[in-house]
Amino acid sequence: MIKRPIYEASAFVLSFLDYGESDRIVTFFTDKYGKIKGIAKGARRSKKRFANAIELFSHSRILFSRNRKDSLFLIENSDVIDHYPKIREDLEKTMAASYIIELAAHFTAEGKKSKKTFSLLKDFFEFLDRKKFTEESLRFFELRLIKLSGYEPVLEVCVACNTPLDEIKAPRFSATDGGIVCVECSRQRPGSLPVSVGTLKMLLMGKEMEMEKIHRLNLSKQSSRESKAILESFIPFILGKELKSVRVLKEIKRLMV
Amino acid sequence: MTGYAPPIRRLIRELNRFPGIGEKTATRLAQFILKSPEENAKRLAESIIEVKKKIRFCSTCFNLTEDALCEICSDPARENGIICVVENPDSLIAIEESGSYSGTYHVLHGVLSPADGIGPGSLRLTELMERISENTVKEVFLATNPSVQGESTALLIMKLLRDKDIRVTRIGLGIPVGGDLKYVDKMTMAKAIEFRRGI
Ligand SMILES: [Zn+2]
Ligand SMILES: [Zn+2]
Repeated sequence: MIKRPIYEASAFVLSFLDYGESDRIVTFFTDKYGKIKGIAKGARRSKKRFANAIELFSHSRILFSRNRKDSLFLIENSDVIDHYPKIREDLEKTMAASYIIELAAHFTAEGKKSKKTFSLLKDFFEFLDRKKFTEESLRFFELRLIKLSGYEPVLEVCVACNTPLDEIKAPRFSATDGGIVCVECSRQRPGSLPVSVGTLKMLLMGKEMEMEKIHRLNLSKQSSRESKAILESFIPFILGKELKSVRVLKEIKRLMV
Repeated sequence: MTGYAPPIRRLIRELNRFPGIGEKTATRLAQFILKSPEENAKRLAESIIEVKKKIRFCSTCFNLTEDALCEICSDPARENGIICVVENPDSLIAIEESGSYSGTYHVLHGVLSPADGIGPGSLRLTELMERISENTVKEVFLATNPSVQGESTALLIMKLLRDKDIRVTRIGLGIPVGGDLKYVDKMTMAKAIEFRRGI
């Protein structure tokens, strides 16, 4: 038997699909190889090789190999590093984490490595596991992920005429232009959304802040609403579609009131 | 596959749709069918049609059944004050096989899975809540799998029941995180049912 090279990585489970009697096709985001897709044979049965680590958003150490080029990786083994029990025992946190991994799956490309994206996921799950969940924290995650994927929105100046934010009276956000526009420029952009200077400054500040400190940012009701609205219009515009978990999260929220 | 006569190709293609059946296995199965007596092939075809025609959901618990009510719901010996909520018929069978549960069931036919677009509306939750509001239910025993999706589904049901005067329990220890009830042995299952915990 020819020995195949075995790769090792630290990984988050972004999604999986049950396949056959007990296999699982898994998409991981790894520290060393970016997003990879592999098959874990017997994953739903084997306690020894997979130690139940193939669970959504769990962090594990995986060993994998490849049979030949362009086929799925073969996941040989996985050991859990963190299941994030505090996320799992909280419905809201679990739903937020589910959204995060769907977002990450869409904003990353297979085989394109990004240590920063890996750290962002890790920081966010640790934050979610330890701290109280706030809807606003999702905005900062979204902004960072978008930035790492190369779609960072322009929030400092009008994207069309370069007028600096401080000189814009009533800025608006235009998803199709990927940034804010001044009053003049917004006239030709009927789909743009109003956003206050305060909200924009908060987002600019939060973008650079450590995840650990994010929960200290206290967004006003208005800022919270505005930042949600602009990201809700910007993300589907970049991806060219609505994320499925967004609809499910709304459905659950409606059920809970 | 191109060398086969069109009817064989069609059969291979159909068999290839089964979970876990690749083209090679599908070809082997097709050859087996081809070689077996016509009688056997007929029986196979008929039982496939029969399953599709006769099997439906129990009107109370959504278990698979031949009649309007499944065998469990129509059994007077079962305690109908307890409803065990499961993801799918496989879990129900695994619990039944342990022989340590005598209440009734409710099959959700799925679990919350946001990225797949599966929310509360895609599960048999409204029907569960209707059954519970009929007042005879004393305990709801949540036996969804201990996976992220199963746990969040249990959390959701728990929240929906929080204002009701009902004991809510969760399947006990011994079933590993991420495990599937389908693969749990009878002894472990019996213990997990016996030691179900109030939540
Ligand atoms: Zn302008
Ligand atoms: Zn029934």
